[in-house]
Amino acid sequence: MNVIEINNLTKSYGKSRGITDVSFTVEEGEIFGFIGPNGAGKSTTIRTLLSLIYPTSGSAKIFGKDCVQFAPEIKKQIGYLPSEVFYYDNMKVLDLLKYSASFYKKDCSQRIKELAEIMDLDLTKKIDDLSLGNKKKVGIVQGLLHEPKLIILDEPTSGLDPLMQQKFFDLLEEENKKGATIFFSSHILSEVQRLCNRVAIIKEGKIVTVEKIKTLKENNYKKFKIETIDQVETSIFQLPGVTKLEGNGTIISFLFKGNINGVLKRISEINIANLWIEEPDLEEIFLHYYEKEA
Amino acid sequence: MNIFLHELRSYRKSTFIWSLSLIVLVLLFMSFYPSFSKDAENFTKIMESYPETVRNLIGVNLSSFFTILGFYSFLLTFITLCGAVQSMNLGTSIISKEAREKTADFLLTKPVTRKTVMTAKLLAAFASLVITNVLYLTVASIVTIQVKNVDFNYKVFILLSLTLFFVQLIFLAIGFMVSVLVPKMKSVLPVSLGTVFAFYFLGMFSGTAGEEARRYVSPFKYFDTFYIMKHASYERSFLIAGAVIIMISIITSFIVYTKKDIHTV
Repeated sequence: MNVIEINNLTKSYGKSRGITDVSFTVEEGEIFGFIGPNGAGKSTTIRTLLSLIYPTSGSAKIFGKDCVQFAPEIKKQIGYLPSEVFYYDNMKVLDLLKYSASFYKKDCSQRIKELAEIMDLDLTKKIDDLSLGNKKKVGIVQGLLHEPKLIILDEPTSGLDPLMQQKFFDLLEEENKKGATIFFSSHILSEVQRLCNRVAIIKEGKIVTVEKIKTLKENNYKKFKIETIDQVETSIFQLPGVTKLEGNGTIISFLFKGNINGVLKRISEINIANLWIEEPDLEEIFLHYYEKEA
Repeated sequence: MNIFLHELRSYRKSTFIWSLSLIVLVLLFMSFYPSFSKDAENFTKIMESYPETVRNLIGVNLSSFFTILGFYSFLLTFITLCGAVQSMNLGTSIISKEAREKTADFLLTKPVTRKTVMTAKLLAAFASLVITNVLYLTVASIVTIQVKNVDFNYKVFILLSLTLFFVQLIFLAIGFMVSVLVPKMKSVLPVSLGTVFAFYFLGMFSGTAGEEARRYVSPFKYFDTFYIMKHASYERSFLIAGAVIIMISIITSFIVYTKKDIHTV
């Protein structure tokens, strides 16, 4: 079942920003990453899903229902964490969370306590007195307290220290195991790589690709770096499938795609001191997509 | 209901302060009445020396000024002015507050329609005005009864006092519409003070010219205290005008806001 289904969604603001013809689906139980640099249209897409803004053309469905027409009904099952969290400053954390919970017709007090404990959040403080990171925690608890079926996160980790990020990711994985679908926008690729099954890459308002993280990495290049003992001609690695060949006598590096045995044979012919073969990280793939399109 | 209560709670302080200010104003002013009425004759002479336009400008009507209701309606001009600022503040903050404090994302991603949010917030502002008026009317009645030297028509007194409420309702609705139509309002006070005083001065000058039609320009002129004292009722055409303004403002606000894009700030 598709939890999110976006069809040819376009939102234009005058001429410049916005999104054009965005289509993709998120299946139930997935952790779906949505990556792109700032201003690529991530928030625009998310805000359209939440019917905070209305599409210029195209449509989006959540739980199989049109996200504008059935907005209030759909939102019962959505937890949303905005990229920047701002709440009623002069309220206490607990009061805000209770206010938030009062919109959902169930008792959330137990869950609030649990979440606050996991995220190490002081419920008695005033929101005004909280640091950015702590405000973010309020946002997280607020987004999860009603145990939503779909969790939408817009750049959720900014302001959280690494330890909290870890806890937060664990929490998300736990929710995911319980059956929640997670839609996760970010410009930090390592966190997407860590958490997500599939990603959509967006660039200047258009979807560049939607892939499984695994496929993205498999279909890609391996990075070779070879340190030799003797001076070696760089050109001996001039093989089919090799690109970006660089060398300065004792250190040679290149990207390779194809049958790896050919390269290994070449390597065995020379006297090497050290060898690195690396999977490219998502960042490099990502840049690759951006360069290719540019 | 939860939104209504939350909003009402957030208005607690402002409701209290405004009510208190109006109460202090009426207490102070009405306590002058006994000494004032003793010197009525001298005052009348002084006032007569002013040209009639000036008297109209400051809202003094010699035939009724020294009765307690006349005296009270003179005060009422300022009370309604203050009240208009209060309600305009409330009105303009209803929507703009969410945008300014960036809480719109919080509220509008909850499982409620925008209409529900607006209705609840509007009702909370309305309730805040009702509370202010109840408190004000109670104190005003007590003090007026205390300082009176001759009996007065209490019904007229109530009618006069309620003009505060009606003027406030009009400005609440206008403010509400302004907050929806103005894209990004950084601060409420300049907008609300500006609008209220603009209407107030418009009213002052349209009042001096004495033309009926001009009175429609300013809500401050919809309730002519002199007419109310004379007929113990309101002027129907102006009541209708007020109601129309309120309805148009609210309907416009609802239509515009439900179709509006909520942008990140």
